[in-house]
Amino acid sequence: MTAIRRLASRLLGAAVRHSSSDSQEWVRAMLSELDYIENDWAALFWALGSARAIFKYSIPRQLHVWLGTRSNEEEGPMLKHMRRTAAGALAGIGIAVGVLVAAFGLVRLLLVIFPASTLKGVESVQMLAVIVVPETIFVVAAVALWRKRRPMAVGLVLSAVTLVAHVVVHLTTH
Amino acid sequence: MKLRLSPQTLQVLDAFLQAPKDWIYGYDISRNTGLKSGTLYPILMRLAERKLLETSWETAEVGRPPRHMYRLTPEGMRFAKEHHLQPATRRPARVAFGGVNS
Repeated sequence: MTAIRRLASRLLGAAVRHSSSDSQEWVRAMLSELDYIENDWAALFWALGSARAIFKYSIPRQLHVWLGTRSNEEEGPMLKHMRRTAAGALAGIGIAVGVLVAAFGLVRLLLVIFPASTLKGVESVQMLAVIVVPETIFVVAAVALWRKRRPMAVGLVLSAVTLVAHVVVHLTTH
Repeated sequence: MKLRLSPQTLQVLDAFLQAPKDWIYGYDISRNTGLKSGTLYPILMRLAERKLLETSWETAEVGRPPRHMYRLTPEGMRFAKEHHLQPATRRPARVAFGGVNS
């Protein structure tokens, strides 16, 4: 056995050891074909391609096992729907947080460029940029997305309500 | 599970249709279609998962490992015929990995 063929054989042998149990049959199939390939380089390329196929097949399944989740095919439609709704709502909240951070950053930048002493009514500008404009964006986006992407719209509405609640609490306590 | 009908999958189905009742080895499919093992086996796995392909182990020759063989199921046959490649789009068979003959 040449060194190249030994390398090919070891590569697939390692793949056998590290593959998931449900892919073992396929790994053994690829490994056994190796003995019927006469050209050594062809055998090596066969082993490399096979190893790629095995890991592509095994890694997502191993991840599902480690994370304690099941694949999409095994999930019930209810669970799938819940997951999709949660993902949509989280995306809406994420977008809202992004808008708020951008607005807040913009205000801070303006205060650095134009120091507060030279600006009249700084508080009202801050209020407008950090609260009124984002609130308007959230409401408009939620209305626009309500029919097609309701979970995302719900996420935006939740963010808008939280922001209003935050402002009310802030104003009452200060 | 939805089967992605890529040109490579169609090539594999087409290879099975050449000899619909025969068992075929993975390496032979690879040589007939020109697909490398890294492309071919995921396709075979998906076909088998969808029960379009049946697999079997060949009785071993002395000193050699048993080989895995593949054949379309009746459902697979129907599916392959439905999605049969048109002759104009069929890829000419070539020898895989630089000219290996078994």
